[in-house]
Amino acid sequence: MRHPLSWLIWAGCAAVLALMARHPLYLTLVVLATWLVYLGVARSSLMVASWRALLKLGLFIWLITIPFNALMIHQGRVVLFRLPAHWPLIGGPITLEAVLAGATAGYALWALLFIFAAFNLGVDAAQLLRLAPPFLYQAGVVTSIALTFIPQMLASAREIREAQRIRGHRFRGWRDSLPLVIPLLTTAFERAVQLAESMDARGFGGALTGMTPRYLARLRGMMVLSLLLFLIGMVAQIFWPHLAALAYLLIALAAAMLLYAFHRLGRSVRRSRYRRERWGAGDSAIALCSLAALAGALWLRYSNPAHMTYAPYTGGLLPAFHAPLGLLLTLLAVPGLIALAEPTPEGDALQDVAP
Amino acid sequence: MIQLRRLSYTYPGAATPVLRDLELEIEAGALALVVGASGAGKSTLLRCLNGLVPHFYGGVISGSVRVAGEDPIARGPRQMSRLVGMVFQDPETQFVVDTVEAELVFAMENHGYPQDVMGQRVEWVLGQLEIGHLRKRRISTLSGGEKQRVALASVLTLQPQVLVLDEPTSQLDPQAADEVLQALRALNRELGLTVVLSEHRLERVVGYADQIIYLPGDGGALAGPAREMLAQIDQAPPLATLGLALGWQPLPLTIEEARAHLGSPPSAPPQKTAPMPVAGEPEIVVRDLWHAYDGRPALRGVDLTVGQGEAVAIMGVNGSGKTTLLKHLVGLLRPARGDVQVRGLDTRHTPLEELIRTVGYVPQNPNALLFAETVREELAFTRANHGYPRDSLPPGLLEALGIERYLAHYPRDLSVGERQRVALGAILAAEPQIILLDEPTRGVDRLQKEALMRYLAHERAQGRTVIVSTHDVELVAETMDRLVILERGRVAEDGPTREVMARCPAYASQIGQLYGDPRYLTVGDLLGGRR
Repeated sequence: MRHPLSWLIWAGCAAVLALMARHPLYLTLVVLATWLVYLGVARSSLMVASWRALLKLGLFIWLITIPFNALMIHQGRVVLFRLPAHWPLIGGPITLEAVLAGATAGYALWALLFIFAAFNLGVDAAQLLRLAPPFLYQAGVVTSIALTFIPQMLASAREIREAQRIRGHRFRGWRDSLPLVIPLLTTAFERAVQLAESMDARGFGGALTGMTPRYLARLRGMMVLSLLLFLIGMVAQIFWPHLAALAYLLIALAAAMLLYAFHRLGRSVRRSRYRRERWGAGDSAIALCSLAALAGALWLRYSNPAHMTYAPYTGGLLPAFHAPLGLLLTLLAVPGLIALAEPTPEGDALQDVAP
Repeated sequence: MIQLRRLSYTYPGAATPVLRDLELEIEAGALALVVGASGAGKSTLLRCLNGLVPHFYGGVISGSVRVAGEDPIARGPRQMSRLVGMVFQDPETQFVVDTVEAELVFAMENHGYPQDVMGQRVEWVLGQLEIGHLRKRRISTLSGGEKQRVALASVLTLQPQVLVLDEPTSQLDPQAADEVLQALRALNRELGLTVVLSEHRLERVVGYADQIIYLPGDGGALAGPAREMLAQIDQAPPLATLGLALGWQPLPLTIEEARAHLGSPPSAPPQKTAPMPVAGEPEIVVRDLWHAYDGRPALRGVDLTVGQGEAVAIMGVNGSGKTTLLKHLVGLLRPARGDVQVRGLDTRHTPLEELIRTVGYVPQNPNALLFAETVREELAFTRANHGYPRDSLPPGLLEALGIERYLAHYPRDLSVGERQRVALGAILAAEPQIILLDEPTRGVDRLQKEALMRYLAHERAQGRTVIVSTHDVELVAETMDRLVILERGRVAEDGPTREVMARCPAYASQIGQLYGDPRYLTVGDLLGGRR
């Protein structure tokens, strides 16, 4: 298991590169690197099937959007065929350049989706939440409860629907939703109460230490005030555009106050964090390689902007390939190589919730 | 370790106190079992020990509580959590985060333990409960028994002195329940933890208990050594009942202890085993039934024929396919392969509306069913759906279920056992010929169970067919004449209850295990009318 932060760095770098490189060859390199990573992490995740389906859907969308660009943009020298010029929008020459440009743009978006899929298979939501700064601890707990609560409620809803069907319940009007909604609400409520009890009994919420009631009241007042400022800023920004600068200042001030209040509250509760994820040599390698790829690409781009872009309309039809840049992009495959070198993790084998 | 003096407690809005002048003492290192009918205050008593009562529930409390020298009423559950670990009944609803390891550290994080201590405690608790292999698993992928052991581990990380458990095994199959109880016993013996737990199925836990605390329902408590108390309460498990009747001294708590007394033959001549009632026309025919949930097989070629008027029990560990099979019989699921015929109707081609006229299915969780303002409306809803006049009821239904007193009550305010019976009523109001019950005795106390058994006998006398999926061996021994055991989606055993129980001790009643003789399954078999 890698540290979630190294994953975050990899995904960030790969995503920026995929957005920068509107160029089929470089994108292909990014996709191949991501593919290795995907293979490396897919072995240990239960979510592979759903991500695979999403990737297929993305591929399908990409393919059907290519004709749109070709039909709308009528520039380029290599004309494939012509549509009658009097047809609105789509009339005119249909060029190979437009097809290629559309395909490249779709390719970049699909590469992003692929990177996101590999990232999600590599770390789960709960691990990421644990990276949140201490003053967001409560928000993290709430989110993680919601993540487990929702599937449970869906299962309850199914159970209730079945139970009412075998009592002969049928849908005829809004009143007929009561037999479904009321048990669902009461079940949700009972679950919530039990969870709250269980959290209380394990000391959740802790005791506020080193804070007088007066200070706490001041902090709360500050939070209310900052929300008020935030609201005023939003309204000002919408209705008085000439005061936009002042509005942004208000919003920034409100945000700073809110963060400060959260920070103070977070510090006053004695609580610690358990992080199993240790930053290992593999994590350093991932982070360094990803950052090196990004930094190198940025430097090449600024030294010669033409390197990274593929411009079929103005430049040649065949993309130019700059070998050093290609080499840099292969660095993105490092997490995949590391993951594949590790033994297959056990544990979350293909077991699922018992019906 | 635990001392309650003149403790009285009234829930907010309640007219009468649940606990009244309760006096109780539990020694350090004891394993105490809290028993009593539903609504007698078992859960309330347990929640007084860590301050959830009154801090979480409100209400009026008086008297004093001391646990490990601290006062939970003054300190509240958060501060008491270092001293008292609490595990709840439902394995589903007590987890906060999604993986085992994160759950284990949750309590320690809230108490601000340093990183290295947390690491050590996690290793220790994983070893202690033998759940090291679950460390990285998602909680939703665990079995019920594993979940309860994780719940136990997640409170142990604070190294409390007292463990409080509210019916920790009521939702588990017998094997999983044993895993949890043995883990508890080890914690009690090896670490000297004081354990207080409540449970309805006494036969499961009484062998582990040092002390029994009996709540008779008047707000007080009677406590004493397990053997002495068993002689006084009306909820004794079959083994103790037999021992009392035959004058066995000391009173046996486990099968092993009872074996020592076996030299003396039963005082009554063996009852003639009742002949299997001749099954009428086959009402349900299941042939080579297969079913899978998202590719995971649940039923793998089940064959079963049930005749009119039979009472069939379906047993097996969780996940062996019991509920899936019942859902096929009522048409909620349709066969993927093979076929199911109910009174000559092929479920694959018959609409559910038609099937439910002859088949009534009561699901595990009565809460999924109940929605109306009153019990009366709940019954009327089913009647109207089936085209009967709204306010008519099948004769004898209310009396047989013992729910006539609750007609004007709000169903959700009733106890689990009462709700279970209202749910039964809500299904049976349609007067189905075939009755399917899924785990009808979960969370139900002895008296309510007896009411249920009487009702089933009443229905069978009218020629109805009853099929029950259950973990409750005593219920099966007392009321069912045929026992089918499912193993991993296949029928592993099928035959008269007496014979199957004699062949499979894991599914036998206490008396059946003791004698290993098909003639003796219940106390009644041995003592005749002299119970």
